[in-house]
Amino acid sequence: MTVTTTDQGEPSEDPQDDGRSIEAVAGHHESREQRHFKERLALWLLIGGDLVFLLMELFFWFYLRALNTNGMWRGSACSKANPCTDGLGNPITSEVAKANPAYTLIIAGLVVLAALVIWRAEVASRNQEKRGVISGTAALGLVFLLAAVVVQCLQFGKLPFTTIDGSYASTFIFFMGSTLGHLLLLSFLIFAVWNRARRGKYDGGHWYQVRVNRVFAVWIAISTCVLALVMVLFA
Amino acid sequence: MTIAEAPPILLENTPISNVAGGLYRRQNALTGLIGGIVLGFIGWIVSHQLLQGSNWGSDMVVTVTMVGWVIGFNLGVGTFNAPARWMLGHDQSYEDELYAAGVTQGKTRYWKFCTDHKVVGTQYLVLVMVLFGIGGTLAMMMRTQLITAHSSFLSPNSYNAIVSIHGMVMIIATIIMVTGPFTNFIMPIMIGAKDMAFPRLNAMSFWVVVSAIPPLLATFFLGGVDAGWTTYAPLSVQAPAAMDAFSMTMIVFVISVTIAGVNTIVTLFTMRAKGMTLGRLPIFTWASLVGAALSIYAMPALLIAFTGMISDRVVGTSFFVAAQGGTGWLWENAFWIFGHPEVYIILIPPVGALLEVASTFARKALFGYKVTIAAFTAVAALSLMVWAHHMFTTGWAPDLAGPFMVTTELISIPTGIIFLCIIGTIWKGSIWTRLPMFFVYLFLWNFIIGGVTGIYLSDVPADNFFHGDMFVTAHFHYTLLGGAMIAAIAGLCYWFPKITGRMLNERIGKTAFWIIAIGIQITYFGQFWEGFQGMPRRVAYYDPIFLHANQVTSIGGYLLMSGFLVLLYCLLNGWRHGKPASANPWHAKSLEWKVPTPVPLVNFLVDPVVTSDPYGFGEPEPDGTEVELPDPDRELVPTLSSDRPVTGGEVL
Repeated sequence: MTVTTTDQGEPSEDPQDDGRSIEAVAGHHESREQRHFKERLALWLLIGGDLVFLLMELFFWFYLRALNTNGMWRGSACSKANPCTDGLGNPITSEVAKANPAYTLIIAGLVVLAALVIWRAEVASRNQEKRGVISGTAALGLVFLLAAVVVQCLQFGKLPFTTIDGSYASTFIFFMGSTLGHLLLLSFLIFAVWNRARRGKYDGGHWYQVRVNRVFAVWIAISTCVLALVMVLFA
Repeated sequence: MTIAEAPPILLENTPISNVAGGLYRRQNALTGLIGGIVLGFIGWIVSHQLLQGSNWGSDMVVTVTMVGWVIGFNLGVGTFNAPARWMLGHDQSYEDELYAAGVTQGKTRYWKFCTDHKVVGTQYLVLVMVLFGIGGTLAMMMRTQLITAHSSFLSPNSYNAIVSIHGMVMIIATIIMVTGPFTNFIMPIMIGAKDMAFPRLNAMSFWVVVSAIPPLLATFFLGGVDAGWTTYAPLSVQAPAAMDAFSMTMIVFVISVTIAGVNTIVTLFTMRAKGMTLGRLPIFTWASLVGAALSIYAMPALLIAFTGMISDRVVGTSFFVAAQGGTGWLWENAFWIFGHPEVYIILIPPVGALLEVASTFARKALFGYKVTIAAFTAVAALSLMVWAHHMFTTGWAPDLAGPFMVTTELISIPTGIIFLCIIGTIWKGSIWTRLPMFFVYLFLWNFIIGGVTGIYLSDVPADNFFHGDMFVTAHFHYTLLGGAMIAAIAGLCYWFPKITGRMLNERIGKTAFWIIAIGIQITYFGQFWEGFQGMPRRVAYYDPIFLHANQVTSIGGYLLMSGFLVLLYCLLNGWRHGKPASANPWHAKSLEWKVPTPVPLVNFLVDPVVTSDPYGFGEPEPDGTEVELPDPDRELVPTLSSDRPVTGGEVL
């Protein structure tokens, strides 16, 4: 391999490069657009991995539902005369009731609202609106997310089944857990966006981090809606 | 101006204040250990107290303890410092970054959360060697048990536990054996980058995987995992609490590998030097790219499988237990959707390293560069469509056996093309037979045996005969140990001078080579013999008709282990006492050989601009000098400076 060489030259002109990465420390010629490309690519790769996880969840749901081993998807084969056995060995004598779809749909709606509000925060930061607008919309998005977490907890308390009541109950609760995990991760990120916006980190056109989080929020909203639709329509 | 005349900017000499680094200053592996033990202990106590009636080793208590350990360890070692500071809006300063990159830390940086990719690569290298040591010791225990038909060396339960942990330790070690050390240390330099795209994520991927190892080893004290490395349900659902620790290990490992995979791909696409077009990327970087992509999209299947497993065991869900509405087939599908791509996650990066070795020591351009890249990609794509060949005998979807047989057999075509490209690269080359090249030859021999026997197993009728017997064991050991691991050793011997700054002792290395080469043939031909006789896998006792084959295998196993011990001695001896290496002892062409040894903190004292491909052997250098082919009989006289001035030299 033939190489020619250049001197390291001046450091990057981007003020955000200062102290942000070892490339910046080394005077690496990394433009803001290059840095954005890095973060964007990383995010899309992670979303790709999460998409595979989502597809695997759907595979779990539809495979178990189609197989309906021993009539135990929702216990359709269980009766007093022919009881099935739950995860603890106790008899199940009737079909397991479906979960109330209202909670699932409310959670999905709240997450969609959160994603839209976070999108608004991104627009505000791109338009270099007042710091309070960016942090305020991020805070509102966080409130929606936390509300979704609370509704999820309420839903868990109101379920007509527990984890041991067959594969429908198991998969339903697994989906809830998966949604909850994603919501908590997103809440952490949006909390950080709110806090950083409040401290002026996104002033002066430094909007890209907000955008990355918005893209992730939209993805979470999509995946939550897909899971919610499956839970409601294909019980 | 040449590189030597450029003003050197050695950041490692930069003075920084005594408070730079913040918490990092007080954190290291020991504080990680303390944090892990403390939080694990708290989790153990609290979960036991909250769960009235549960015993100290129940599934819930063990799971919470392991979660506590993993979080505590990573808190203690500093993994979460940067995300926490980012969340709080207190970004790390210039000096903090310098400290985190290892400046002023000396050798202690190898015990700390260090963002320098070379430190992370070296940390991975040591971790891989430790894991191979553990896995190899367990293998020797198995072979000792099997040297007689009814040995009392191990109880059946202990034997099964050792089989499982040997398998999973080796799978973890082989997945990271190249992507850990070489993709981290070498790949950024190869493409002209100053570090990985996300240095903190890079360090995080290492320390997260470190935190996964103690739970895996703890399984021996929690009743042992007696369900084999594939942990098929319902055996695994019924296994002792060790299975919870095992599952936790796998979940944490998936997180680490996913982070590392994303970092690798982003680095390759965004951090290349000027002129380093995709068509000029060294083949090893392509192999790393394909391996990383495969890991990102195969690992989620393993993640959901083990999350479901923990959930079945801890909260009584019914994914894998048929009596309650689940099915063992679900586990097998999820496991093998990950499990077969995993073979290529292991195999492709070492083969990329091997191709670098072959080209350098044959003094020839890579044969079929673009074809090899296409073949890597085809193997990766096909590997996602073959998983059910592991389930031919399970009764799952018999109608799909034919299509899965075809896709599996199809994969042998791109694999064969890669094999031909290796041969084409060394064909009629001016072979310089140094230690790394010995392992290239051994790879070719082993991999053809592993590959051809794999085609038998992809065939449904043959698989019905061989499934579950030692033939399968011999096949995948020829592929993974004889193929992937030998290729990785070739890469290690090749890049050892760049990583350590010292040369290996060729005489000791060649002694190790011959013992390993002979040991592999005796051990795994012995296992083929056992397989043809019909001996099943995973049995602690066997019928005396299998005695001779087992004795041969065990003797081969001891020989193989002796070879690896000699190799280990060669590596440690070379690392400590080897002759100092020059910057480019192999007269190679790729960028990692153009930087000084030891490599400076930011790799390149001046930014490189690439103007040709990495395999231009025999072509005149830009300064007009002819390239001198090395004399195979001449022992290199290493110097501390570059053997030849770094090529090019003009400043653009």
